[in-house]
Amino acid sequence: MVERRLIWLAGIVLVWGGAIFAKLVALQVVHHQEYVQKARARQEEVVQLRAQRGAILDRTGHPLAMSVPTEAVSVDPRNVPSISLDSDLLARQLHLPPADLLQRIQAAHDERRGFYLIKKGLTPQEAEDVRNLKAEWIHVDDASERHYPNNGLAAHLLGGVDFEGKGNGGIEKALEPELHGAPGKADILTDVHRHGIFELVSTQARAGVTVTLTIDERLQFVAEREIAAAVKEHGAFSGSIVVMNPYNGEILALASYPTFDPNNPPENQKDIEARSNHAVSVPFEPGSCFKVITLSAALETTRLKPESMINCHGGVLTGLPGGRVIHDSHAGMGVVPMSDVLAHSSNVGAIEVGRTVGREKMYEYVKRFGFGDKTGIPLPGESKGRVRGLPKWGSTSLESVSMGQEVSVTTLQLARAVSVIANGGLLLQPRLVMKMGDQAPPMEPPVRAIKPETAITMRQMMEGVVLTGTGKTARLNGYTAGGKTGTAQIFDFASKHYTHTYNGSFMGFAPVTNPAVVAVVTLNGTHGNSGFGAEVAIPAWKAVVTEALRIFDVPKDLPDTPPTPTQIAQNQKDQNVNDLAIADLGSDRPNILEDTDDESVSATTVAFVGPRAPGTTPPAPPAAPVAGTVPNFKGKTLRAVLMEAAAKGLPIQPDGTGVARVQSPPPGAVLHQGERIRVQFAR
Amino acid sequence: MATAPEFLSRQTLAGIQTTEERLQVVPQEIDLFQLRALPFEDVYFRPKKMDNSKLVREADPHAGGACWKVIGAACLTLALLGGVLAPSVANTVAGYKLESLRVESQKLADERRALELQEAQLLSPERLDRLAQDQHLVTPSPSQVVHLDNTGESKVAMVRK
Repeated sequence: MVERRLIWLAGIVLVWGGAIFAKLVALQVVHHQEYVQKARARQEEVVQLRAQRGAILDRTGHPLAMSVPTEAVSVDPRNVPSISLDSDLLARQLHLPPADLLQRIQAAHDERRGFYLIKKGLTPQEAEDVRNLKAEWIHVDDASERHYPNNGLAAHLLGGVDFEGKGNGGIEKALEPELHGAPGKADILTDVHRHGIFELVSTQARAGVTVTLTIDERLQFVAEREIAAAVKEHGAFSGSIVVMNPYNGEILALASYPTFDPNNPPENQKDIEARSNHAVSVPFEPGSCFKVITLSAALETTRLKPESMINCHGGVLTGLPGGRVIHDSHAGMGVVPMSDVLAHSSNVGAIEVGRTVGREKMYEYVKRFGFGDKTGIPLPGESKGRVRGLPKWGSTSLESVSMGQEVSVTTLQLARAVSVIANGGLLLQPRLVMKMGDQAPPMEPPVRAIKPETAITMRQMMEGVVLTGTGKTARLNGYTAGGKTGTAQIFDFASKHYTHTYNGSFMGFAPVTNPAVVAVVTLNGTHGNSGFGAEVAIPAWKAVVTEALRIFDVPKDLPDTPPTPTQIAQNQKDQNVNDLAIADLGSDRPNILEDTDDESVSATTVAFVGPRAPGTTPPAPPAAPVAGTVPNFKGKTLRAVLMEAAAKGLPIQPDGTGVARVQSPPPGAVLHQGERIRVQFAR
Repeated sequence: MATAPEFLSRQTLAGIQTTEERLQVVPQEIDLFQLRALPFEDVYFRPKKMDNSKLVREADPHAGGACWKVIGAACLTLALLGGVLAPSVANTVAGYKLESLRVESQKLADERRALELQEAQLLSPERLDRLAQDQHLVTPSPSQVVHLDNTGESKVAMVRK
C-alpha cells in the first residue's frame, strides 16, 4: 500500500514536473522571439539625437546666428482631465497668464487637436517642475531655438527661421540643407526606473555646418547705422549700401533699410516689406553712375582718351526724334576733355561719347560689366536687373543707356562694376560665404571685362570726380578716392511719368592706386535740390569707407592734412553737384522697369534730367591760384619725370614702374595749387 | 458440515469462555514496559531503553576529505559563476555610469552654448557703441591712428615687475 502511494506521489510529481518543463520549453523555445521582442519593447527606448543647426559667423568668428538647445512643453488637449484646473496649475508652473492659457487650451480642445505647444524656451527649473507633475497629457520635449544675438545686424543677409526652425530668408534659406544637419537615432536600454543602462547609436547625428560669412560685424554695423541715418535725414523711402573687396569679390558689408529683427516674426505688412533686400532684389535706373560704363567702352573701342575734347553743345542737345531738345543740367559746358564729362557729369557729353561707341559696342560693354545677369550671390530673390536685348533698342536707346537709363541695376551690380575698375578690369563673382565648416566654397574664375590700362585710366578719371567734380565732398583724409555720383528720377508706374523724387547714389573706391575697398550707397526717394547723389549718398559713403579703411588697416597714401574750414567752405561753394541724368528722351519703348519678366521688379527709380529752373545760373568757380601747366610725361622714365617735375617745381605722385603711360591732369591742363600730377608707369 | 450444534461445539472448542469461566478472575502478570495495545490489533509494542553513552562513533577517514571537497566545489562553482556574471554586472554598472556621464556632458554642452549666446549678446556692436557713447568715447579719425614702425630702432618699454 505504501508502495502504491509512493507510486502515485511519484506519478503526480512527474506530471507536475513535466508540465513545468513543457511550459518552460514553450516560453523559452517556442515563444522565444516573441518575448524577447516584448522585453525589448519595454526595456529599450528609441531616442532621437538632435542635430544642432549650424551657426553663422562673421569673418572674425563672431556669431551672427546660433541655436541654443531648450525645452518645450506641449499638451494633448483631448486628454486634459480638467481644463480649468490643469491650465491654472500649468500656468503657475510656467509663469503664464492663467486666463490666457485656459482660453488657448480650451480652443485647442474644441478644435480636437491632439497636440498644442504651450511654451518654448523653458528654464531648467520650469522643465523640472512640469516633469514632476508626472501627467501623461503633458510632454516636455527637447527643442532648439534660433537666436540672433546682435538683433537686427545683417538681418537681410541672415534672413530668419520659421516656427519649425527652417530658414525662410537670406542665408538661412539659401543654405538650409547645410545648416539644418540631420538628426540621429539611438536605442537606449533602460531599467525599471527608465534610467539608461546602455546606448547603441544606430544613426549618428550630423550637426549643421558652421557658415562663416565674408562680412565684418563692425563694418556692417556702421553701414547699417549710416544708411538708416541718411534715409531718415533726407526723408527717403529706403536705401542700401554694399562694400566689397574688389580683388576677391568678398562682400564686407551689405546693408538695406528699412530693416527688421529676425528674432521677432513679422506681425504686419510693414514688417514683411521691411524684409525686402534693397541692395540685391530691388533694381533701379542708375542714372549718371552709368557714365563710367559708357566712358570705359569709349576708351576700349574708340580712339577717345581722357584728354579728348567732347562737344557738349553748351548744354543743349538737338536732333532727337520728334524735334525734342534736351538741356543739360550743367548749362554752359562747351567743348571739354572727356575726363571733365565724367567729373561734371555732363549728360550731353555722355550722349556724344555713347554715339561714338555705337549701339553694338555699348550693349557689349554693358553686358561685360555684368549688368542684366544675376551675380550669383547666395541670397534668395536676387534680381538680375534689366538690359534690353539689342533688337529691342529704340531710336533713343543708345542715348538713354549712355546716361544710365533704359537699364535697371541693383546696388550689388553697381558695386561689382566699380570693382572691375578698381581691380584692373576683372569681373568677379561677389562672395558672401567665406567658409562652410573648414572648407572654402569654390570660386568662379574672374572674367576679363576691360583692359588693365583702361581700368587705370578710369580710376584716374573717377578720382577727378572727387578732386574737381561733383564728388568733392567724398574726399577722404589720408587716402585718395575715386567715384561717381548719380541722381535719377523715379518713374511712376501709375501715371507713366517721371516724378521729382530721385534715387541718389554714389559709387567709389579708395585708395586710387591700389583700391582696398569699393562701396556703393543708394538712397531711394529723395527730394529737391538736396536730394542729389552727392548730397545724400556721399556722407554715408565717406563714413563707411573711412571705417573700412581703418578696420582693415589700409596704409595711407596721402599725408594727414585735414582740409581747413575755408577750404571746406570753398569746396562746398563751388561744387556743382547737380548730376541728374536725362530721363525722357521720347523713346518709343515703354519704361525699362515696366518690363515684367523680372520677378523682383518693384516701383523704383528712373533717372531724369530736368531743365534748370528759369532765372538760375550755375555759380562761376572761383579763380584758384595756378601752379603751372602740366607737361607731357608720356613715354619718359621715372627718373626723367622726377627730374623734370623737380625742375619746374611741380608735385608728382608716381605709381608703378617702367615708363609713363597715363597721367592726370592731362598734358597742357592747368595745375592748381594743392593739386598733384599723378603719373602711372608700366613696362 | 456446519450445523448449529457443530458450530456451538466449535466455539466451545475455540475456547470461548463460558459464564463461569468469565466470572473466574484470573490474575495476569503486568508487563511495565508494554505499551498500550492498539485497538483491534494483536501487535504489542514494548519500548526498550538503550544506553548508547558508551558508544563511540568510529572515525571515518574519508568524511573530512569529502566535506572539504564539497566546500571546494561550492567555492569553485561560486567563483566560476562570479566570473561568468561579473563582466555582465560590470557592464551594467559601467552602462549606468556612461549614461549619466553622457547626460551630464550634453547638459554642459547646452550650458556652454547658452553662455556663448550671452557672450555674443554682450559683445554686440550696438551695445558696445551704446556703452562707448555713454563713456563719451569716439571713433578715432585716420589722422589720430598712429601705426608703430616695427624697425630695429624701436625701444621696448620697460616692464615693471
